[in-house]
Amino acid sequence: MIIADRKPLEEILEMIADVDNIMLVGCKGCVTVCNVGGLKEVQILSSSLKIARKKADRPLQIEEVLLERQCDPEYIEQIRDTYDRYDAVLSMACGVGPQFLSEAYPGQRFFPTVNTKFMGGAVTHGIWEERCAGCGTCVIHHYDGLCPIARCSKSLLHGPCGGSADGKCEVSQEIVCIWDKIVLKKMEQGRLEDLRTFKPAKDWRSARDGGPRTSIREELVQ
Amino acid sequence: MSDAYEPQVLAFCCKYCAYAAGDLAGSMRLSYPANVKVVQVPCSGRVDILHMLKAIEDGADALYVAG
Repeated sequence: MIIADRKPLEEILEMIADVDNIMLVGCKGCVTVCNVGGLKEVQILSSSLKIARKKADRPLQIEEVLLERQCDPEYIEQIRDTYDRYDAVLSMACGVGPQFLSEAYPGQRFFPTVNTKFMGGAVTHGIWEERCAGCGTCVIHHYDGLCPIARCSKSLLHGPCGGSADGKCEVSQEIVCIWDKIVLKKMEQGRLEDLRTFKPAKDWRSARDGGPRTSIREELVQ
Repeated sequence: MSDAYEPQVLAFCCKYCAYAAGDLAGSMRLSYPANVKVVQVPCSGRVDILHMLKAIEDGADALYVAG
């Protein structure tokens, strides 16, 4: 799923310093699962904003809304009758949400309340890690399910590099050298020879390097 | 802040211990300040961040959870 972090309250307050009446829209998708933009987080942010603005002697009116998703037009439609009753609309979805909202309702102002970070999963309660870089050409089968594109700081197809020491990456001691893990796993499975296979340079045009991407499923297009 | 300032305090008390202790204090004719408002909860674990935020939002100056 997409992992995001809530923006600091001060930053959100600064964004909406000139408005007094807002709609705060949560999303039941990825941001609910990573505890950053679901129902509970909408209620917490709403209450925190109200308290801060009351303290600053400029009360803020907030309508709390939760959409099934903010990345599908049919759910975005659900606020068509109400979106223009507010000075601004704040989205608690990933970066897709405020963009879909602003494309659907050009007359309104939309603000993001989260910083969208990466595609990953929860390794333990409260800790999420990146697992996929969305490069568009999956190669993890060559590396026993460990993705060097997303998890190696240099996205090396042949590794490890000279910066690997004690299983850690030279970029940070917090980063596990995935190439160290790939080699260990190949050794455990007796298939170290696999790594002698030369991999040609990756075609990055399927990744972001080819510009913004589109996915078309002909059988679904009407 | 003037001397007359009296903070409004909200107390979330567990039914089985803190609230029961409050009851016992009452039967012993012990009093507590009038600016403390007690809310009985089935368990102190029931108290959520939203309960606390709503309390502050609605005018509480301080709150505590007893259980």
